[in-house]
Amino acid sequence: MLRLENVHKSFGGIVALHGVSFHVEPHSITGLIGPNGSGKSTSFNVISGFYSKDRGEIYFQGKKIEDIEPYKIAMMGIGRTFQISEAPEKMTVLENLLLAPKNQIGEGVFDVFLHPKKIKKEDRKHLKNAFEILELIQLHDLRNEYAGNLSGGQKKLLSLGRILMSGPMLILLDEPTAGVNPTLIKDLIVAIKNLRDEKGKTILLVEHNMKVISEICDRVIVLDFGKKIAEGTPEEIQKNEKVLEAYLSGSSKRG
Amino acid sequence: MGLINFLVYLAIMMGIYGILSLSLNLQYGFTGLANFGQVAFFCLGAYVSTIIVLTFDMPFIFGLLGGMAVACVFGYVIAIPTANLKEDYWAIVTLAAAEIVRIFFLNEDWVVGGGPYVGGSFGVGGIPQPLRSLFSAHTYPFFYLAIVLVCLFATYIIINTLTQSPFGRVIKSIREGGDNLPQAMGKNVKKFRVKVMAIGGSFGGLAGCLWAHFHGFISPDQFMPLETFIVWAMVIVGGKANNKGAILGAVIIMVFYNSTRFLKDYIPVEAVTLASLRMVAIGILIVVAMLFMKEGFIKEKRVVYSK
Ligand SMILES: Nc1ncnc2c1ncn2[C@@H]1O[C@H](COP(=O)(O)OP(=O)(O)O)[C@@H](O)[C@H]1O
Ligand SMILES: [Mg+2]
Repeated sequence: MLRLENVHKSFGGIVALHGVSFHVEPHSITGLIGPNGSGKSTSFNVISGFYSKDRGEIYFQGKKIEDIEPYKIAMMGIGRTFQISEAPEKMTVLENLLLAPKNQIGEGVFDVFLHPKKIKKEDRKHLKNAFEILELIQLHDLRNEYAGNLSGGQKKLLSLGRILMSGPMLILLDEPTAGVNPTLIKDLIVAIKNLRDEKGKTILLVEHNMKVISEICDRVIVLDFGKKIAEGTPEEIQKNEKVLEAYLSGSSKRG
Repeated sequence: MGLINFLVYLAIMMGIYGILSLSLNLQYGFTGLANFGQVAFFCLGAYVSTIIVLTFDMPFIFGLLGGMAVACVFGYVIAIPTANLKEDYWAIVTLAAAEIVRIFFLNEDWVVGGGPYVGGSFGVGGIPQPLRSLFSAHTYPFFYLAIVLVCLFATYIIINTLTQSPFGRVIKSIREGGDNLPQAMGKNVKKFRVKVMAIGGSFGGLAGCLWAHFHGFISPDQFMPLETFIVWAMVIVGGKANNKGAILGAVIIMVFYNSTRFLKDYIPVEAVTLASLRMVAIGILIVVAMLFMKEGFIKEKRVVYSK
């Protein structure tokens, strides 16, 4: 589904990715973990085109992704959320959701005037879908609230909601449970599992909560200092010496 | 000038500036594009329409469409290389672009096609008014007001329809979240910005054309950066990202702008002082609006969908 080969990325003197290679199986949930600053978000940014890589190759569904603009990568079927949830503040929760579907007829200037009926119909279809998603992310009561008034956790849920609306094949989730209240995390886990089991999606997620990782991940990839140091099932990873060492030393070395 | 005449004149100005204000509101209020060169569209519309009608002896409607088309292309062209710039750079680039347009018309005083277009610093006079011969001097302003109102209404409908459409959702997300979020949703952010500038340009050009054919005389000193400032005042005071607010802003600012002319009846001031007093008055109005009504007279309307 997704394959990174020897990907390098540095920022001035800081080497964020130092020859990272890993792959993500179709219809799986893969965890991407590692101490702070190990290059997880940078990997996401390189995959989704927000950063251009210095070296290496990325393949999506067997096709090489060239250095193209992020929106084109999104159009190929890779959806992502951001670690710091960006939400258009002065747009309501529902507007946020309705923004997400790709290639809407009403996004064309002339189409707005030429096809008002089609647009209305399409909007109604999206709206119906949005109401279902609102239940799932439990933002139904806040549907007409400005996204700027949501809590950090609710914004995370909203970004998941947008992803669900836009329906990508591969979903990259950057810390989807950070700041989300524990009871909701359970629902989130169910929702993410459903994406794989019922919708056949492929998910790569960055997550710090090991409980979440062990509960939903089929495989886990561990990064440290921009390199893959381990890979395996959640059980294997939790017993891996190198991983334990990276996490233990992480706090002291990196402050 | 009789009171009625004055009121009709004022209403015409409100209508023309209302179009300019709607255009800037689409760019700034909805898309977050800080265009500090709005006057460039106004200037281009005025000059191009004048040249088409006066030099090429074509009907008014061709002047109007031509002025809109050139201003549209101009918006498109300045947006292409700058669409990825940050807001402050955007402001500088657009400000400079507008000055370039003005200085172009200041320095180019060629005679096109043997016609009577003699521009330069002297300006161009004798711009024909559409269907002038059908009306008396007294009734013509009413007719012109009708033209302006039709144009204002059409502009309102078109821009309002756009801002409420899926297109409107995308440009609002560009205003709110910068580029990242809409890009991650597969939106070609740059293309949307360019489109907004082209649409904004067309309507700015329309306002310029209406202005030129109403006054019958245009010159480069009518298109100073100060004009842009006045249009900004309209958007900020009226209410950004609200199309009714943009029109209300034009009405309020035009009242302020023209009220100072009555001051001289009460206070002994010179015309030059009065002219700067207007700007001071508008400046104060902006400050007051920012302090007490951050979102202007009419707030941005929250979009509510029901099942
Ligand atoms: N835009 C950037 N500019 C400079 N340095 C960056 C940038 N993004 C990430 N980095 C650096 O790259 C390294 C990896 O960061 P990141 O991928 O965000 O780590 P994490 O695994 O915590 O998500 C860090 O040292 C970080 O400071
Ligand atoms: Mg990170």
